[in-house]
Amino acid sequence: MKLLLVEDSERLQRSLTTGLQKNGFTVDQAFDGEEALAYIATNQYEAIVLDLMLPKVDGLSVLSRLRGNGNDTHVLILSANDQTEDRVRGLNLGADDYLVKPFSFDELVSRLRALNRRRSGEKNPVIEVGGVTIDTVARQVSFANTTIALTPHEYRLLEFLSHRRGRVYSHDQLIDQLYDASSYVTRNAVEAHISSLRKRLKKAGAPQLVKTRRGFGYLIE
Amino acid sequence: MYSIRNKLNLTIIASMILVLSIAAVFLYGRVAGQVEQIFDTALFDKAHSLISLTELDEEGLEFDFAEEGVMLEFQAGEAMQYYQLWERGVELLIKSPSLGDADLPLLGTDPGLHQFADLVLPDGRKGRLIEINFMPRIEVEDDEDDEDFGLETPPAQPITMVFARERESLDATLLAIGSTIFGVILAVLALAGLLTWWLVGSGLSPLSRLARQVSDIDESSLDARLTHEGKQSIEIAPIEDQLNHLLERLQSAFEREKRFSANVAHELRTPLSELKTLAEVAAMVPDDPEQLAQFFRDVGEISGQMEKIVITLLELARSEAGLLRSDPEDIELSRYCDEIWQHAINGQGSGKSLVKNIPEGLVISTDREKLGMILSNLFINAVSYSPDNAEIRIAAEVRYDNVVLEVKNASIDLKPEDIVHMKDRFWRKQLARDDSGHSGLGLTLVDALARIMKLDVDLQLDNQQTFMVTISGIQPSLH
Repeated sequence: MKLLLVEDSERLQRSLTTGLQKNGFTVDQAFDGEEALAYIATNQYEAIVLDLMLPKVDGLSVLSRLRGNGNDTHVLILSANDQTEDRVRGLNLGADDYLVKPFSFDELVSRLRALNRRRSGEKNPVIEVGGVTIDTVARQVSFANTTIALTPHEYRLLEFLSHRRGRVYSHDQLIDQLYDASSYVTRNAVEAHISSLRKRLKKAGAPQLVKTRRGFGYLIE
Repeated sequence: MYSIRNKLNLTIIASMILVLSIAAVFLYGRVAGQVEQIFDTALFDKAHSLISLTELDEEGLEFDFAEEGVMLEFQAGEAMQYYQLWERGVELLIKSPSLGDADLPLLGTDPGLHQFADLVLPDGRKGRLIEINFMPRIEVEDDEDDEDFGLETPPAQPITMVFARERESLDATLLAIGSTIFGVILAVLALAGLLTWWLVGSGLSPLSRLARQVSDIDESSLDARLTHEGKQSIEIAPIEDQLNHLLERLQSAFEREKRFSANVAHELRTPLSELKTLAEVAAMVPDDPEQLAQFFRDVGEISGQMEKIVITLLELARSEAGLLRSDPEDIELSRYCDEIWQHAINGQGSGKSLVKNIPEGLVISTDREKLGMILSNLFINAVSYSPDNAEIRIAAEVRYDNVVLEVKNASIDLKPEDIVHMKDRFWRKQLARDDSGHSGLGLTLVDALARIMKLDVDLQLDNQQTFMVTISGIQPSLH
């Protein structure tokens, strides 16, 4: 799940990014409203974590412009403003969720995952595809009650495609969705991760979930 | 606590009872006196008519009124009247048949005088008498025959006559007059009491309405203002105005406190959030010493920042509570400015320098610690909010026995309208938090400390975007 984290506190950015990455999220960082709008204009995100008090362009203006441009990316507001009117204003402007600082990091992760499920229409955090069970909370994959050990990259790939079954994603789209903007990832690296994922599924006796559409990309049906 | 309405009602009604009672008693006294006087005059006239019918001739005293059939009221029967006459006050001459065996009392009146008195009549009724001491009229006869008989008129002796009649009719009249007067007074009192009650209530109704409006106001409705319908009274208008001003001040103070609490919460929430996330995320990377080291550095910075906010808030609270006192001592200003600059900036000046224009050897008398806090805050602000390589200028001069200190720096983005807010708690040009450690409390603290030291702090922004803080009222040393 690719996120844009918009937060002016460098220290909070640093710790949140580390924690989110550890939980399988791909994170781009923006430190002010202008930077956030620039990222949003050139990237696709599954969710945006947005602070309200931002330099240059404040969070509510970012949200307002986002929705004004027809962008329906999930937005989770992360703010120290705890008054009801602040929450109401944020939600009325089109935010999907509102979390007040200080917050529990686990809660933030759970809310982001819930937003992701809402996007894919899944309500159950456990996805089952061809007998393969993907627990998106425990970030565990199993087949016939046997756990399949995956690397974080392989897991992200499997979870991403499982949430979007039937849709073909090219190498570039996968790079864009699964890696942050500062990472340098090649097509070969994506192919290597897909190949490795297929091998691990095969080794566990699971069906081959990830299909190739030659010339177009990959999908899970 | 007492009710103005009740007090006014009771006071007015009690006063009216007192005044009307005095008036009633006086009126009754006057009327009763007049009626009794009329009664006594009638008694006197009747007595004199009896006297005029008493004459002395050579045959002795004659009482024409005693002749049978002349004055029936002195006969025994109903509505009887009484008389009795004595010569020289001792010898009974005559008494009315109505007395029977009874006698009228003899009071003892001097010759030529008369007196009145109440008595109980022989028939048991209440009565009133008049006693007159008189000389009988001597009848002069022109008839020569009398002389022929050679009879001489005996010498006249003083006669005391007591005439009495019932006074129950008088008492009945007095009772009717009294009951009429007191009845009317009671009715007037009752009506006046009701009128007073209504008038006082009506007169005080604007006050009652004001009290109701005030009691309806609580902390959630401080934006309400006291209003009135129609014409306002000149007595209530100033109270209403003052209460409305008080409400405005209260509302403003409540909003300021609310804003302050929200700001404190906000300022502490963000670093708390950072600490919490750092702790939770650090637990995910136990084997990454580089990350952990960075996290620990962050924790140190955040703790320092929170400590600074809390200490500043405590200083502000202490200054507002009047717990801080100014303790003046002699300070060599130029050297002290250098010391504070070094300590406050601590090598973090980003190439910015302090340019002093302070007379050498200028010694001031002020609180060293507080002046240090003021200068430190001003230097840190000047360094943080000035362009790279800017000069921070400090100048001092003696004006009218006072030292005036100015700290100037080029500003990056200040606007003239920002100046009025700069002493507000938590005010920052950029609302967004940054990691510079500025919480928007510096100038608030400077202002609070200056007030304790009895100094004036003036903020200005000139056309060249130069921000200037002027501190005046510093005392030069007398030594």
